[in-house]
Amino acid sequence: MTSSYRQIRLRKTVAIAGFVTLTAAAAFSANAQAAQTSLLETGSTLLYPLFNLWVPAYTNAHPDIKITTQGTGSGTGIAQAISGVAQVGASDAYMSNGQIKQSPSILNIPLAISAQTINYNVPGLNNVHLKLDGPVLAGIYSGSIKNWNDAQIKALNPKVNLPDHAIVPIHRTDGSGDTFIFSQYLSSSTPSWSNSVGYGTTISWPAVQGGVGANGNPGMVQASQQTPYSIAYIGVSFHDQISKAGLGTAMLKNKAGNFVLPTKKTVNAAASAMNGKTPADERLSLVFAPGADSYPIINYEYAIVNAKQADATTATALRNLLDWAVSPTGGNSAKYLDQVRFVPLPAKIAALSKAQIAKIQ
Amino acid sequence: MNPFRLSLQALATLIPLALLAIFVFLTAYSWPAIHFNGVRFLFSSTWNLGNLYADPVVRDGYSIAVGAQYGIAVFIVGTLASSVIALLIAIPVGIGVALFLSEYAPRRMLSVLSQIAELLAMVPSVVYGLWGLQVLAPIVLRDISPVVSRTLGFIPFFSGPATSGYNLLTAGLVLALMVVPVISSTLIEAMQRVPTDVRESCFALGATRAEMIGKILLPMVRTPLIGAAILALGRALGETMAVLMVSGGALNYLPSTIFSPITSMAAFIASQLDSALQDPSGMAVRSLAEIALVLLVIAVIVNVIARLLTYQVRGARHG
Repeated sequence: MTSSYRQIRLRKTVAIAGFVTLTAAAAFSANAQAAQTSLLETGSTLLYPLFNLWVPAYTNAHPDIKITTQGTGSGTGIAQAISGVAQVGASDAYMSNGQIKQSPSILNIPLAISAQTINYNVPGLNNVHLKLDGPVLAGIYSGSIKNWNDAQIKALNPKVNLPDHAIVPIHRTDGSGDTFIFSQYLSSSTPSWSNSVGYGTTISWPAVQGGVGANGNPGMVQASQQTPYSIAYIGVSFHDQISKAGLGTAMLKNKAGNFVLPTKKTVNAAASAMNGKTPADERLSLVFAPGADSYPIINYEYAIVNAKQADATTATALRNLLDWAVSPTGGNSAKYLDQVRFVPLPAKIAALSKAQIAKIQ
Repeated sequence: MNPFRLSLQALATLIPLALLAIFVFLTAYSWPAIHFNGVRFLFSSTWNLGNLYADPVVRDGYSIAVGAQYGIAVFIVGTLASSVIALLIAIPVGIGVALFLSEYAPRRMLSVLSQIAELLAMVPSVVYGLWGLQVLAPIVLRDISPVVSRTLGFIPFFSGPATSGYNLLTAGLVLALMVVPVISSTLIEAMQRVPTDVRESCFALGATRAEMIGKILLPMVRTPLIGAAILALGRALGETMAVLMVSGGALNYLPSTIFSPITSMAAFIASQLDSALQDPSGMAVRSLAEIALVLLVIAVIVNVIARLLTYQVRGARHG
């Protein structure tokens, strides 16, 4: 009796509290919305930290703009930009020809350049930069290279004492721009991978007994930290977490045949090598770029935007925001990009992005 | 009929209508996928979204991505295996917890601990998932799997070593922890409802406490136990987030041992949706909807079996 009475009273209290919160929230948002333009950014979890640096800085200078950011995944970002739910869909991967055919008014606008690191947790070797190339990584991820002391890995690292232990390859289970550029590196460097698996934001991973899937970049860092003898591909903006986890970072073989580490210099070298090849719609893979110093796994980080916005106010607000984002004195300044280890767009690419931004109406 | 009763009736019909609506929606939405995939869907172990960056091709009259193939045997096996392991652990533990609290523990302890058990049943699954990922997975890799493979390793299914902490065993353990409170709190309630007279007459006839429990109490709560187990199975089958976080996301191969990574149907839908949305042909999302339909059908079958079992048990006792 008493307990059910107490339950009813509790329910009442909860209901009243809920009602009060709702009314308060409604009143608050009504106040906040007065003469404000709202923009919604959603998508890539790699771009999400950058937008979270950009938004407070931008909205401080432009109090009439309200920007909501969400990290939901590149595919969701693209889908919501097309459906009109979001004004900016953040994506690590550009849209396919098939998608563009279905939604011809969608623009793919690069905002910055990101890179990817190949990390491993091999006890005793994490402070050594192991040398790896596309065919060896493809072998590991398709199960033909099973042990760390495999002859093919030894051939690249003759002076390193590699352990006789099974490799645990870790891949992303969720749709990811990182899977996209990693599988592009394997596809462009290894014909057998290109023919059998190919590339995409999720791919049909070959059956490797013991191979592990992890969720998101944080999940990749954690899984490799907790799993000795594992290997993983991780977005460069997670550099701090990677070093905190004590993982090793591989030197990767580029198109010119040199082994390079992901640094500002090598990422810039790769980006400028692809400058002239970037078309007007800017949908281009930067993976496996030519050049002696080019780091092989880099990509444009895209804002997926519908050129036809609902109204002129939204379109203007969106143009201003994106123009600021790609400007070297605005969002592309080192102040923001260095924190997430992105590299600014080369001047020529920024100009192409601006030309695309001007199409938003 | 008075309007109050009429409106209540209308509200009550909402529940079967909602179930029907979900079923109809899933069937209608996934119809092209059901037709395209055929029975292969249930028995093939290969899931491949195909090349989403090439133009879709037409196959069997449907536009699909190049190389796309949808088979969910891996996810069905992963779902059932992890749920069965969870129940095998959770049922004895749940019975033990309920017996101790209801028959041995002091009253005060019973009321406190049974309320805690009820609270545990309400903890969001992502919390269990996070705990599984942070705490349990390393322990499974370092401590539990060597013990399991040493003691049970002569059975091929338990032979190690585990290469990572994300596997069938970890998923089963996390699920077990999630469903133990469901089982124990239902059982405690059922045991409390067994009249004191029955217990006392048992003792009066000279039975020990163990005999009373084994011969009288447990048979009397058999029906609620089956109900609770099915409820727990339902929760384990549909669990998404916790499994997604600790199962290791296996793709394209069936688990060979208890230390193999797996994927469950619900977790797979959640993890693949983002990429499936990029398929211009739309077949990928429809195939995911077909997985949801299969999951729904499995849930209904499990419930029907539960009804039949409880009915039989009850019938046997009264007949």
